[in-house]
Amino acid sequence: MKALNNILQKAAVVACLSGSMFWGVSCTANFDEINTNKTKISTIGQSELPYLFAKAQSSSTLSAGNYQIGQNLFSDQYAQYFANIATYFPSDRFVIRMDWIGGPWGVIYTQTVPQLKSIMDNTDPGSAENALASIWWVWTFHRWTDYVGPIPYFKAGEPAQSVPYDSQQVIYDDFFKRLTAAVAVLKTKTSEKPFGSFDLIYGGDVNKWIKFANTLHLRLAMRVSKVDPARAKTEAEAAVAGGTLTTTPDDDALIQRSNKGGDVNGLSIMSPWNEFRMSAAMESALKGYEDPRLPVYFIPAASTNTYEGLRNGLTSTQLTDPANTAATNSRVGPRWDGSTGLETRQNVMATAEAYFLLAEGALNGWTMGGTAKDFYEKGIETSMKQWGVTDAAAIAAYKASANTPIAPNDYLKSPALTNIPVAWGGSEAVQREQIGTQKWLALFPDGFEGWAEYRRTRYPKLYPVANSDNPDIPAGGVLRRIPFLLVEQQTNGAEVQKAVSLLNGPDKVTTPLWWDKN
Amino acid sequence: MGALIVNYFNNLAANYSYLLLYMKQCLLLILWVFLITSRAIAQDQTVSGTVQDENAQPLTGVNVVVKGTTRGTTTDANGAYQLRARSGDVLVFGFVGYQRHEVTLGNQSTLNVRLDPDNQQLQEVVVTALGIKREAKALTYATQSIKPAQLNEVRDANIVNTLQGKIAGAYITQGSGGVGSGSRIVLRGNRSIQGSNNALFVVDGVPINNSTYSQPGGDFGAVAGTDGASNINPDDIADMTILRGASAAALYGSQAANGVVLITTKSGKAGRVSVDLNSGVSFDRPFALPKVQNQYGQGVGGVLDPSKGDSWGAAMTGQSYTNYLGQAATYSAQPNNIRDFFRTAAGFNNSLSVSGGSDKMQTYLSYTNNALQGTVPKNDLVRHTINLRASNQITSKLSTDAKITYISQKIDNKPRTGEENAPVFDMYQIPRNISLDDAKQYETTNNLGVPTPTTWPSTLNSIYQNPYWMLNRTAINEQRDRVIGFLTARYQLTPFLSVQGRANLDKYYDKNEESYSQGTILWANQPGGKFIRQNIITTQKWFDVIFEGKNKISDSFQIDYRAGAILQDSRFERTTSTADGLNLPNRFNLNFGSTLSLGDDFVHSQTQSIFGQATLAFKDAIFIDASLRNDWASTLPAPYSFQYPSIGASAVLSDLFKISGPLSFLKVNGSYAQVGNAASAYLLNTNYSYSQGAGAGFISRDATQAIGNLKPEITKSLEFGIEARFLSNRLGLNLTAYKSNSVNQLLRLNLAPASGFTDQYINAGNIQNQGVELVLNGNAIKNDNFTWDVTFNASLNRNKILRLSDQVKRSTLGSTERSANPIVQEGGSYGDLIAYRWQTNPNTGQYVVSAAGLPVQTTGLEYVGNFNPRYLLGLTNSFNYKGITLRLLVDGRIGGVATSGTEMNLAFSGIPEVTAQHREGGWVLPGVTAAGEQNTTPIRAEQFWQTVSGKRYGWGEFFTYDATNFRVRELSVGYRIPLPKMFIKTAQLSFVARNLFWIYRGSSILDIPGLGKRKMWFDPDVNLGNGNFQGVEYGTLPSNRTVGLNLKLSF
Repeated sequence: MKALNNILQKAAVVACLSGSMFWGVSCTANFDEINTNKTKISTIGQSELPYLFAKAQSSSTLSAGNYQIGQNLFSDQYAQYFANIATYFPSDRFVIRMDWIGGPWGVIYTQTVPQLKSIMDNTDPGSAENALASIWWVWTFHRWTDYVGPIPYFKAGEPAQSVPYDSQQVIYDDFFKRLTAAVAVLKTKTSEKPFGSFDLIYGGDVNKWIKFANTLHLRLAMRVSKVDPARAKTEAEAAVAGGTLTTTPDDDALIQRSNKGGDVNGLSIMSPWNEFRMSAAMESALKGYEDPRLPVYFIPAASTNTYEGLRNGLTSTQLTDPANTAATNSRVGPRWDGSTGLETRQNVMATAEAYFLLAEGALNGWTMGGTAKDFYEKGIETSMKQWGVTDAAAIAAYKASANTPIAPNDYLKSPALTNIPVAWGGSEAVQREQIGTQKWLALFPDGFEGWAEYRRTRYPKLYPVANSDNPDIPAGGVLRRIPFLLVEQQTNGAEVQKAVSLLNGPDKVTTPLWWDKN
Repeated sequence: MGALIVNYFNNLAANYSYLLLYMKQCLLLILWVFLITSRAIAQDQTVSGTVQDENAQPLTGVNVVVKGTTRGTTTDANGAYQLRARSGDVLVFGFVGYQRHEVTLGNQSTLNVRLDPDNQQLQEVVVTALGIKREAKALTYATQSIKPAQLNEVRDANIVNTLQGKIAGAYITQGSGGVGSGSRIVLRGNRSIQGSNNALFVVDGVPINNSTYSQPGGDFGAVAGTDGASNINPDDIADMTILRGASAAALYGSQAANGVVLITTKSGKAGRVSVDLNSGVSFDRPFALPKVQNQYGQGVGGVLDPSKGDSWGAAMTGQSYTNYLGQAATYSAQPNNIRDFFRTAAGFNNSLSVSGGSDKMQTYLSYTNNALQGTVPKNDLVRHTINLRASNQITSKLSTDAKITYISQKIDNKPRTGEENAPVFDMYQIPRNISLDDAKQYETTNNLGVPTPTTWPSTLNSIYQNPYWMLNRTAINEQRDRVIGFLTARYQLTPFLSVQGRANLDKYYDKNEESYSQGTILWANQPGGKFIRQNIITTQKWFDVIFEGKNKISDSFQIDYRAGAILQDSRFERTTSTADGLNLPNRFNLNFGSTLSLGDDFVHSQTQSIFGQATLAFKDAIFIDASLRNDWASTLPAPYSFQYPSIGASAVLSDLFKISGPLSFLKVNGSYAQVGNAASAYLLNTNYSYSQGAGAGFISRDATQAIGNLKPEITKSLEFGIEARFLSNRLGLNLTAYKSNSVNQLLRLNLAPASGFTDQYINAGNIQNQGVELVLNGNAIKNDNFTWDVTFNASLNRNKILRLSDQVKRSTLGSTERSANPIVQEGGSYGDLIAYRWQTNPNTGQYVVSAAGLPVQTTGLEYVGNFNPRYLLGLTNSFNYKGITLRLLVDGRIGGVATSGTEMNLAFSGIPEVTAQHREGGWVLPGVTAAGEQNTTPIRAEQFWQTVSGKRYGWGEFFTYDATNFRVRELSVGYRIPLPKMFIKTAQLSFVARNLFWIYRGSSILDIPGLGKRKMWFDPDVNLGNGNFQGVEYGTLPSNRTVGLNLKLSF
């Protein structure tokens, strides 16, 4: 037994020594600390909210690569600001590549929505910060409901296995309510600077945010003007009474971009990729009108030193024709240069648009505080100034110009886009087309808004898309929406099925949205 | 007894905080049981003698045991031993690699013994999990050993690649990162979707870090990183054993579900000092390059256009033209422009080792230098490995063993892999009429003295650049300093019980730098260029204490057992500094950066474990084996704990029953094991990330929902084996069948993004692998002058995804919808590839053709095959004739497919050989239109290929190949130079070669009417990376054919 004791003592000593050497006394006490990620933040307090707001602004406006897969490959082409020249991208021929567009969809719901919800949940509903988050919520969601129609809205950002869709009509109703409420709050907070420099658009300038909210309100009112004229009039007049954007560049909503963290201007980063060029539609209008914005919007083609565009929807083989290549067509303008333009501020909403909305409102007989012609011309002038055209004589000449779009002499030998001049016309039909066409030129390069307004008004009279690879729509047809996303069908299938009934039509690209009465 | 211990450990596992107390109690129990069962022994006489090997050299470390007792000793440096025994006792002499020898003792006091080598490795001792040495026949699971000579003769920069064809059930692919790139070894099929499927590498009992820090997750490409295993120096390896299944590896717990590659490194031997020199030189050339056409040059539509990168131009007949540089030139084919871009890569491997010592202390010291070139110009690897091992017998009971290995590795100009502006892919795009002399004029200097790219006729000038610019104006350099060391102390508590403590450190410092000159497409967006530096520190610490014992219970029963505790701690620290834009152009240092950004990564995890294992032997012929392990992992929610058992049995029937006839040995075994995997760190809580951006930057919530109730993954594995030998062990057969189910997989599933999260982790799924492995070896001819040995291995694995989850039925293994996509889908197999295909009429099966006479695409991605082989085969023949040895390894795979994104991309531009056909038109595809009418519209090749390949995105089916292939993998011819008695003892000179030639290659799966099938031109063993994204070749580097000479000298 003595020997056994001896052995045990030795064993115990070794075990204890090694045990304490390895673990100390307590073994798993520090596991929670070990499993805490020190490169991240585990709890959010008030001091983090400004960073969340900045992220919400940056993400929903689509920076860097998300701009391409969310906007440039879709609405920018459907608004015919640009035409695709990459042989491997079919979206210009109406094929909706769900794997691409699913990316920015995810960005909105996971990088914008949770941030805004955190702010709204952690601030007083009567605070300026809460109001800004609410306005940004509306701006963010209107772009996506105008892409798809019914979308998850009221339950968005609430962790669950499935999230219901809401009809576009009730979403718009909430938009109007939110904007009205936010402006009411902000009017009592004009001395504050919510989020300060973290607000990447206005630096916390409450007065500008009031104008922004009212202009957005007016934009949305105009959008429903065909489906619900009475509501549109009421909402539009209320918005205008509160004051819309008036001056450029002071009031223009442009978001900062930064090289830091790759948060760069999306159009700039992709411009050297040579995957898109000026559209034939832009060429026809800008060249025909001898538009001073042409050298701002585009760069002459490398091989000809002239401004050249191509038609939307060319096939891969057509795109290998010398007339349709990167070298023979115009690249997007110098401010979107691939290296010097990465921090170029990105358009969110500009003053010029406000005047065109006022012009159309006046033509509708709404109380807008002026005449359609004055607002139309003010819109042109504001847009010119926004893009750096300051020569008053040139602007005046443009406003009075009888020039009309020209035939672009492209690969398909296309005719002129339309025959209307810039100078204010005599008939309402001409005037409506003029407002639509000039607003389209002014909105450049905002394809989200350009495509939405084209679907509502069918202005400008864009070229038919040359080919369709989508069996649901013939060549020359008009794409009316983005179908429900594949990622949603895979992950939220039951709710997507229910959402089809909110569409009033099949889940196809040809089904018009609620406000689209064409 | 085994059950008792298991039970005890079960209780023990219940409350870890009392670990030490329990261990003491446990130990007490074990000791008590064995002490009362040990019998007292009278020791009558002293026997001494020496043990020699077949060459009459003394053998050190031979176990000499009195049979049926625990009494024993080992031979010293002179092969001498001494012990007490009595007449009639049987002395058993055992040594690794030698046949066991038994002698019944008479009255003599001297007993000299000569041991015969055991070529069949039957009675041998095998190193198993945790470095525990066990008798091979007691194992209840399959293992396979590889001789060091098979690893350090025909070499590869990554030792993993040299295992190809030698191990049953191992599927090895190498990454496409140039020399020193990481490799992937999968044993018994893929089982993890999110995690690694790579086998665990264990050196001297302790797992080493084998992570690859940079991994292509899609075919756009990436810098394919170096792995940890490639640092292992084959010259220091004494033994390599592959534990294929979870049963074998259960003691490693968390990391062992994928099987284990166990490596034992050399240690010093007492007695004579030996010096070994292994010196090799080798030359590599690309083995598989794209097959290109040499009839048509630059242009489109059959018209010469020197500004175009595509080769759809006029036929090349030696016309005079002005080339893209504005120079007068001849328009003629450059059939070797791709091949000549690659260089003959020289490799030098030199290793010197010194081993020796006294019976109290032995040391092993080695230095190895590997200076290797890649076939892509400028891609060089230099590795220095210094290895020092010291073993000490301090007292008769206390011994220590310590090793330190220092590895310094530098890789210059690592070629980027994949499609996006990578030098090799840029090279493949070269128009068929452009010479390398033209291409070498890749830059001019601008008025500020800065190099500027010369115009280059690229097929896509936004993505692809002159390959010489990429070679000379960009660089990806890596430097690694790594220290691996251990310190072991072992104390013999009683003759039958020992305790061992071990501390192990594996730490490496990586410095990775990327520089891109101003003007580099895609990678340098800002003026001045771009520079990235990563500093990575990877630390893995391991401490364990193991009690080990062995007792005889009765005449028939014997038990051996281990119990121990392990602590493992891993840290990964990385800082990434990026200078995007350089104020001084092309000065690649952070000091010159115009925009600097920093990233900081830190991952820390810890696992603590206790385990017990026991083997009960009956008549030294029936073995029952059980183990239980409990882990506490920091990555799991409290109480952090999980446990898993293993149980197995084996019976050596040939020892139990009298056998006669040709059968000389027969063993059957079976085992069942579970292995857990505790998942990665930081999954339990939702975190917010800060990122740089406009203003003061952003905070965003992570888009993956946390899993608060995270459970460990469990792989359950069952295997049965039979081992038989015939004709006095000249013919051997080893057959194993297994089935494993991996459940509770940590799956990352897509969530409806509207919920605020794009992904969530869940524990679900059931992935099943079933298979059979066969190893046959035979000694066909054996006489004094000539021997012929044959080893054949074959395996098959069938994978089935039994279940994913209720919500999600499909998961992808990488992001791409460009050529083909590897997926995991319920009802399918791991690694099914889906791609766009040519639509067929559902009724008639005829191809559907558009009004323009061109193929019509399927509406969605459809199944085109699976990337895993169905069968793997390897055959080694070794001949030995009077000092001349010849070893030939032929191996291959049957089944599985691989999709070539490279060919898809090049086809759009008229570069592959097949695109030369039907250029002039008149090609009518025999198909029907959607309306069912016979197609009559003629097309040209250009239209056809541009339809099925959109260049960067295309229809994968057209470029998918049956990956079946056989090749002469290794050849070595050696000559043992006869030497007079001098200080050089042996000298062996070998000619060695790898990837000598194809014996068979599969063809494209699609038989395109009018073109037929094409033979696979690429090597499916090379993949973009060594992660789970496999089966798609897109801009991967060619594999290499190697020839070389190797000289081994012993002094």
